[in-house]
Amino acid sequence: MAFSLRIALVYSRARWKVKIRDKETREPPHATIIHGTRAWRIDLRTGEFMDSRPDPSEVPTELVNFIRQDDTWQRLRREWDRMYPNNPVTESEDEG
Amino acid sequence: MKIAPTTQQSDLILLDRAKQRPALFAPLSPRVVTSLTDLRNSVSLATKDSLWVSYSSDLTDGLVSSVSESPHVLGCGLFVHALDMKAIPPLNSAFRRIAFATDGGFISADDLAEVLQAEHRANLFIGGVVNNSTRTITFWRGDLKSLTVPFSSFEKSGDGTKPNFGQFSIIDCGQTVQLGTYEAAVDAILYEHDPRYRREISKQRLTEDRTFGAALRRLRKQRGLRREDFEPDLSAKSIARIEQGKIKRVRSTTLAALAKRLNVPAQEIASF
Repeated sequence: MAFSLRIALVYSRARWKVKIRDKETREPPHATIIHGTRAWRIDLRTGEFMDSRPDPSEVPTELVNFIRQDDTWQRLRREWDRMYPNNPVTESEDEG
Repeated sequence: MKIAPTTQQSDLILLDRAKQRPALFAPLSPRVVTSLTDLRNSVSLATKDSLWVSYSSDLTDGLVSSVSESPHVLGCGLFVHALDMKAIPPLNSAFRRIAFATDGGFISADDLAEVLQAEHRANLFIGGVVNNSTRTITFWRGDLKSLTVPFSSFEKSGDGTKPNFGQFSIIDCGQTVQLGTYEAAVDAILYEHDPRYRREISKQRLTEDRTFGAALRRLRKQRGLRREDFEPDLSAKSIARIEQGKIKRVRSTTLAALAKRLNVPAQEIASF
C-alpha cells in the first residue's frame, strides 16, 4: 500500500504531499514531494534532492526540515524497504 | 503557488452548461459554449490549435452534427462525459486528436485546469480507460496523446499490495495512478513505456552516470531483478562486472541474453 507521510496541516491544506508509491522509479530509493502538477524527489540514501528542476528551493524549508528530521527520515526509509525489499535503502552491492 | 502560463496558450473552447466549473478554467481564458448557436459560431472560428473540452453530452451531440458541415480541422477534442461509441468516428475525422472515456475516468475539473496550464502537461495523465479483455490501461496524457500499458506493468508491491483495476483513478494532478490502495507514479510508467520521455529524462540527468553499466543497473532494478536472476545464461558475477564498468566491451551474445531477460530490445538498454 502506498505510503503518505503525515505532514503539518498548514502544508496538507496547501496541497503538499510526501509519498512513496507502490510503483516508483526504483533506483535510487526516494520519497516524492508533490504539489499540484509538480514533484521533487529526495534520495533516501543521501538526503539530497535528486533533480535540479523543479527548483528544490521552492519547497518550504520547514517541510524539508521535517522530512529530514531523524524520526521522519527513518520512517521514510523503513517504508521504502517495506515496499521495495529487493532494493532496500541500505543495500550494498559489491559482490563480484 | 502560481503556475506559469504556457508559452503557447491554446485556444480553449469549453462546452459546459454548469455555472461554477468554467471559473476553474478562467486562467486559460476559455470561450464557454452553452447553446447550439454558440456551438456553430465556435466551429466556424476554431483552428487546428483549438482545444475543445466538453462536459456536456448534448452539446457534444450538437458538435457531432456540426462537424460534418465543417471543412477544416477543429483542433483537439477532450470529451469528459460518457461518450456514445457511435460519436467517435465523426469526431475522429473532425479533430486532429481526441481523448474520451466511455464511462468517466478523467481527473477532476480543477486538476484538469491545472494540468492544461502546465508546461510539462504531456508528462501528466488526465484520464484513462481500463480494458479488461486486453488487460491494458490506455492513459490520456495532458497533450491528449495516448499511452497503452499492460496490467503486468503494475507488479505487486513489496508488502503484497496488488493493483485493483476495478478501482481506477488518476490523482495528484495527473502524477499518480490509483488502483484501489495501490498507487503508481506516472513518471515511473512513462520511464518504462515511453522511450522519448526516457531520453528527455536522461538528458536532464547530466551529472548522473550514463555508462552502459549504470543503465543496466537502473533497468534491472526497475524490473525488480537480482543479479542472480540472469542465471544460467549470465552469472551474477558477470552482471556485477558489467554494472561496475569492469567489462568495457559487452559481447553481442551477452547483450542478447540481457535483452531477453529484461524484455527490451538490446539497443534500448543503454537508454535507461
